[in-house]
Amino acid sequence: MAFLEQHIHDAPTSFWSKYIVSFDHKVIGKQFLWFGIFWLLVGGLMALLIRWTLAYPGVPFPILGSLLFPHSGGVVPPDTYAMLFTMHGTIMIFFAITPILTGFFGNFCIPLMIGARDMIFPTLNMLSFWFSMLSGALLLASLCLPLGAAAGGWTSYPTLSTNIGQPGLGQTLWTLSLFFFGVSSTMGAVNYITTVITLRAPGMDYFKMPLTIWGLWLTAILNAIFVPVLGAGLLLLTFDRVFGTTFFLSGAAATSGKGDPVLFQHVFWIFGHPEVYILILPAWGIVSDFLSFFSRKPAFGYKMTALSLSAITVLSTVVYGHHMYTTQMSPLLTQSFMTLTMLISIPSAIFFANWLGTLWKGSIRFTSPMLFSLGVVFVFGLGGLTGLYLASTSIDLYLHDTYFVVGHFHYTMAASVLLGGFAGIYFWMPKAFGKMMNETLAKWHFWCTMIPLNGIFTGMMIMGYAGMHRRLYNPFVYEFMHKLMPINTFVTMCAIVMGLAQFLFIYNFFQTVFFSKEKASDNPWEVGTLEWEIPSPAPHYNFKDIPHVKCGPHEYGNPNLKNGKDYQFQTEELVKV
Amino acid sequence: MNISFSERLLGPLNGIPGVDLSMKAMSFWERMSPPEDITTNGHLIHWLFNYTTYVNIFWFALVCIGLFGFSYLYSQKRHKIALYTHGNERKHLMLTALIGLGVFLSVDMVITKVSTRDMKETFWNFPTESDVIKVQVLAQQWAWNFRYAGQDGEFNTADDVVQLNNLVIPVGRKVMVQMTSKDVIHAFYLPNAHIKADAIPGRFAKLWFDTNKAGIYEIACAEMCGNHHYLMKAQMTVLPQEEYDRWLKESQDIAIATNDTESIDLRWGWQWGSK
Repeated sequence: MAFLEQHIHDAPTSFWSKYIVSFDHKVIGKQFLWFGIFWLLVGGLMALLIRWTLAYPGVPFPILGSLLFPHSGGVVPPDTYAMLFTMHGTIMIFFAITPILTGFFGNFCIPLMIGARDMIFPTLNMLSFWFSMLSGALLLASLCLPLGAAAGGWTSYPTLSTNIGQPGLGQTLWTLSLFFFGVSSTMGAVNYITTVITLRAPGMDYFKMPLTIWGLWLTAILNAIFVPVLGAGLLLLTFDRVFGTTFFLSGAAATSGKGDPVLFQHVFWIFGHPEVYILILPAWGIVSDFLSFFSRKPAFGYKMTALSLSAITVLSTVVYGHHMYTTQMSPLLTQSFMTLTMLISIPSAIFFANWLGTLWKGSIRFTSPMLFSLGVVFVFGLGGLTGLYLASTSIDLYLHDTYFVVGHFHYTMAASVLLGGFAGIYFWMPKAFGKMMNETLAKWHFWCTMIPLNGIFTGMMIMGYAGMHRRLYNPFVYEFMHKLMPINTFVTMCAIVMGLAQFLFIYNFFQTVFFSKEKASDNPWEVGTLEWEIPSPAPHYNFKDIPHVKCGPHEYGNPNLKNGKDYQFQTEELVKV
Repeated sequence: MNISFSERLLGPLNGIPGVDLSMKAMSFWERMSPPEDITTNGHLIHWLFNYTTYVNIFWFALVCIGLFGFSYLYSQKRHKIALYTHGNERKHLMLTALIGLGVFLSVDMVITKVSTRDMKETFWNFPTESDVIKVQVLAQQWAWNFRYAGQDGEFNTADDVVQLNNLVIPVGRKVMVQMTSKDVIHAFYLPNAHIKADAIPGRFAKLWFDTNKAGIYEIACAEMCGNHHYLMKAQMTVLPQEEYDRWLKESQDIAIATNDTESIDLRWGWQWGSK
């Protein structure tokens, strides 16, 4: 196995070099975490504004409304509403979930869990973070423009996203911002892939890696291949907007040559469908590990789980057309995309069976990371199964672009991913910051998130089934939706509760990072992966001596273990049964 | 005074113009049911939806039994020593494979097959009869234009009947719609027919449906098309055949009498079936 010499340089001493322009993967990971939490709050506030408008059209938003929209007396105006759902989608996907799930966990966990001292390209890693800062700054700037930020939906289909529909600078800045974000993601991805391939500690075979690393690695592969596709589409869109080309223009507005708006949809979804797996794979990996860690039992069918995650990764690249059934592609294409999409159910069923198999006859400790992981199993079960309706071409005739879709994708790529993310944050907090978060608050956070969360997204699916379509400022201009008013208000109430519940996390997080004096022990969760053998928080350059891996990551409950431990470190020789 | 929970939730809406709070009492089931299906083929979609629901309930119940059952039975308190197994014995692999196979047979095979059959035999099987009602649709920000052939039976001629936001069709007849868009992408969505298709600038999309109940229904735009997307609403008037014939005759006469051949608003048609 390739094994590179990893030198130890002196630890940086100044605040600037230690916390701001750091090359250390742990610091960069934490920078991504702060970045993600900031945008999570912004995106969350936008979600509440959207929800409020849907349930109470024409009613001023309480407290903040008059501050944010003084010209309309606190009521969200229709153009702002369009901007809000566009920005909510963009921010949550690219600036909240990706930085936390791939940025934080990827940077923080990969070297620690494979036994490396840092990423293979530390400078690229730093650059990756600063490019996402740049793209975040562009997006923030676009919110302050006189014509407002982009308002064509997060998918930004042309021709709405060309100058015909979005004359303002906002859409251009959005496009550039996502382009730079893509640059950042690609740099990160290249780094992750190479690090996992080259810097695994001696003895760490691919099938001895924790499943978290599997998830992050597969995500990185998808990222490296498909984010550049989005970049190409965004560049062409920028050309259309700024230089007057007509790649995506057609119809009355295409006065100088004719392009095709559907081309952008193809490019967008070639990236867009892998993107949802980019978001969820790290969470799947994390959950697969945690279920084993806290059931005190080896992961059931570890190899099968890793292989089904890989199978899904491959399949995810050839199913994108199911987002475009209504554009009326050729029936042959449509059918192929449906069949391929349906195939994803098989590997999904396999790793679900393995997850439940891991719980079976375990000795389950209901810690906060475990609660959140169990939450992911429940929530992703619902999200995954409801995908079957949408994959079917005939049901999609009715459900396409309704709230059913909104409920479905929030279950899969918002609810599951965020619950998985919280599980990870609670779990790695002692290793990242050297302190444990408050368990009681964490459990409250779980229940106060989990219950309203299901209210929100099940409510959305019910409304979608009843025919309510997406992105409506006021759904009640349609008579057939009048009866949905109480469900809409119920969903909004749930959203408010869930939004407020996040302050339990924010308080807990800030309290722990800045004020808590209690030091965490080196291995508070009694887990055997490499990062738990070193002190908490992880020291400069992680491992004094590069560890030699001798057994898998999930060795729990071996009856022949002596000295009162029920788990083995990965550096210990596997105790024979 | 007795205020119900839902009234309390809706409290802030009191007095807002355009909001009608006088909802009739309805069971939750009625509230969440889709708009009335007025086509002869909508039941196909419902059948597959319901089938998927039953299969989903079955598999999700299994997940829940595992998730909650195991969490209860094997919590640390009740089950101190975990079983040491890697789940890679032959019987474990067989069980996993069986579950995979079960999903493949119950989900993939059925849904894919039925869906393909319905699309091929019905939704993509465009009517070829000569008496089908033909309508051209032009979507624009934020309105729907409908065009019928005039007395000469030809589209894109000076005597075409052009309607704004009102699609008039006879009950019991097959309707074929060709559509495109003037500016951005819209989606022609008939909630009561349970179908939709994108109207894309530079392309022609087509849809067909039939109705079995007269009445006035809503047409919506389902694809985000700008700030006033939510107002892009039209009406579908389904008339009995005689009334429709009367309406068409009158409209054709009016068209011949009043159509301004110079008006830009009327010059958007195309020849039927042309690409």
